[in-house]
Amino acid sequence: MTSLATEAPMASPVAEPLRPIAVEMTGVDKWYGTFQALKGIDLTVRKGEKIVICGPSGSGKSTLIRCINRLEPHDKGTITVNGIELDGSPGRTQDVRLECGMVFQQFNLFPHLTILENCMLAPRLGRGVAKEQAEAIARRYLERVRIGEQAMKYPSQLSGGQQQRVAIARALCMEPRIMLFDEPTSALDPEMIKEVLQVMEDLAAEGMTMICVTHEMGFARRVANRCVFMDKGEIVEEATAEDFFGNPDSDRLKQFLAQILH
Amino acid sequence: MNALPIDPALAWESLPAMLRGLMTTVVVTVIVLALGLMLCVPVTLARMSRNPLLAWPAAVFVVFFRGAPLLILLYLVYYGFGQIEVLRDGPLWFIFGSAFACAVIGLTLNHVAFMVDVVRGSLEAVPAGLTEASAALGIPPRDTFRQIQLPLAMRYGLKAYQNEVVMFTKGTAVISVVTVIDLTAVANEVFELTYDPFTPMLTAGALYWCLVNLIRLGFRKLEAYLSRHHIAVEKQRQPASAGFTALAARWKLALSQKEQVL
Amino acid sequence: MNISTADFWGYVGQMLDGAVVTIQLFMSGFTLALVFGVAIGIITLSRNIVIQAVWRVYASIIMGVPSLLIIFLLYYGGSAMLRGLFGNNLYVDVTPFGAGLAALTIVYAAYVAELVHGAVRNLPRGQFEACAALAIRPVSAWRHVIMPQLARLALPGLVNIWLIVLKDTPLVSLAGLNDLVANAKIAAGATKEPFVFFIAASLFFVVASALTMPLSNWLERRFARGLQRVKA
Repeated sequence: MTSLATEAPMASPVAEPLRPIAVEMTGVDKWYGTFQALKGIDLTVRKGEKIVICGPSGSGKSTLIRCINRLEPHDKGTITVNGIELDGSPGRTQDVRLECGMVFQQFNLFPHLTILENCMLAPRLGRGVAKEQAEAIARRYLERVRIGEQAMKYPSQLSGGQQQRVAIARALCMEPRIMLFDEPTSALDPEMIKEVLQVMEDLAAEGMTMICVTHEMGFARRVANRCVFMDKGEIVEEATAEDFFGNPDSDRLKQFLAQILH
Repeated sequence: MNALPIDPALAWESLPAMLRGLMTTVVVTVIVLALGLMLCVPVTLARMSRNPLLAWPAAVFVVFFRGAPLLILLYLVYYGFGQIEVLRDGPLWFIFGSAFACAVIGLTLNHVAFMVDVVRGSLEAVPAGLTEASAALGIPPRDTFRQIQLPLAMRYGLKAYQNEVVMFTKGTAVISVVTVIDLTAVANEVFELTYDPFTPMLTAGALYWCLVNLIRLGFRKLEAYLSRHHIAVEKQRQPASAGFTALAARWKLALSQKEQVL
Repeated sequence: MNISTADFWGYVGQMLDGAVVTIQLFMSGFTLALVFGVAIGIITLSRNIVIQAVWRVYASIIMGVPSLLIIFLLYYGGSAMLRGLFGNNLYVDVTPFGAGLAALTIVYAAYVAELVHGAVRNLPRGQFEACAALAIRPVSAWRHVIMPQLARLALPGLVNIWLIVLKDTPLVSLAGLNDLVANAKIAAGATKEPFVFFIAASLFFVVASALTMPLSNWLERRFARGLQRVKA
């Protein structure tokens, strides 16, 4: 397997308590008009950790992950990413977004640019990297998601699974410290889910800090250090993957797992 | 801007004449719209026919009368009819010789050509899946057309029809070139009598504005009536907490469909 | 035909001169409307209340009043308006061409701006979000991601506006512009051959409209780069 290491190699993918904090949310509230989407969210993610967030639709899990790179501004509480507090100032928002890569449910590739151009755009515009260097970076990450030979095609010429792998490569081209995945496999046909999950597992094995909203329970078991269950805008339960599936605490989680795993 | 001296006394004095002009504009518009609705059906059917003897003349009719500016069509009818001896010596010359009839005929030719495309476009906008579903249910083609295609096409076509009606109503301002005394003609007369460049044009403009917005209002009411089923769905979604999930799901669905189209 | 051949060709020559004026007015009017319209369209995406109020009033007037009336207003009142704006000692004679050009620009810039709004609304929100998530600054995002896609989304509407401007251009002859239609009318009146000259003038516009289609198809293919679905 090719190496995806982007920072210092780690002895074990399992988080130890004293690792530096990557993302810290305390008392985060979020409202859409009169609807409260997040209620007092407290969540700490340490470097190298892999967190899986799941819950029924409308439970606020996407909102939570989108608050981390301020695609949604939160209304109360604090969010700190790699020591930068998101206070609404454009400069800090920009800094946080440079630290975080994000993969969307709908891929959101730029349809008018080739695969290669999609991957080169952000390093060139966001980091001011020279063209040749940006192309080298883009080609390297496209190889790593095993799609290098499609570089000159346009997104619409690829399958959903290939598009999502390109989206992952595009995010990695920014060389982020943290990767956010917002239901990356929910828009894919079943036969394409595996190829995307494989790329994500490779990434996890390299020690990337990952926060994934997903219902792929196999992936959660294999990769996650911790699983977080959300319902009605609250974090209901937070446990290691083993306890989460083997020994759920709350009735709401039991009910949810029964629905999803039967 | 103190350079826009509007003379309220003149506006008030000319108002009765303006209203008579407006009346002429409205009468011409209503007559031509009615003629358009009647005539567009056979021309559209001919245009969509598989028989080239019907389809070709209809296509030429549409291309010519859509492409030619209304102004030239009016000149053509008004000055042209006088050159046709059969018409001039015939018993119906009291019709073809009148400016009013010439205006109606010129406008109708133009309007019908546009209507053919409105009707054709809305019929083609009905998703093939719906007619297929209807056929699969064993509904005969004639009833499929009357019960499924036509009512749906009316809904899809309403916006295009509204645009055409508004465009057309404003377009009637040129009929003064064939000596019909419509609203624009009255405004021009007042200008020539007073050499006040602003008052007559702005008064007429205000009256046109009211007419056009009255038409828009009417269409909005009609649209609300025709799309009752959409409104019903909207209302079901209202209840906040439970509805939000459904709303979010619908949103995602709508977004994913939109992106597939793209 | 009851006119001499020499006279006939004289009138044809006059109509060709008129056609040149028509084409000049149409092209310059459409270009100015496009430039101002795109600028207005982008500026009025702002949620600023003053900008919104000014835009709403402008759009509502333009969408509710015939363009012929606006041509007359600018032709009759143009020099008074300019005096009001730039001081009383200024005296400008507003030509029919100038009034027509100003009217076409003012009217169709509003339609172009409306088109820009529609195109932005139709662009998936994910495109803006992806730019934000990739830390691409708004100005760069607009230039490299949003504008190229807007051009494609707005193209069919733009072709429509092009055709409408084409057919509104002859209205300026009613303000005294010596264009194709004005010359056709003179020729038709002098020769008593209305069919010949008015049909010729109509065909000029019909052919110009018809030529639009291959042009727009070519543009569409260019803009659709990478967007055609490949059948598996």
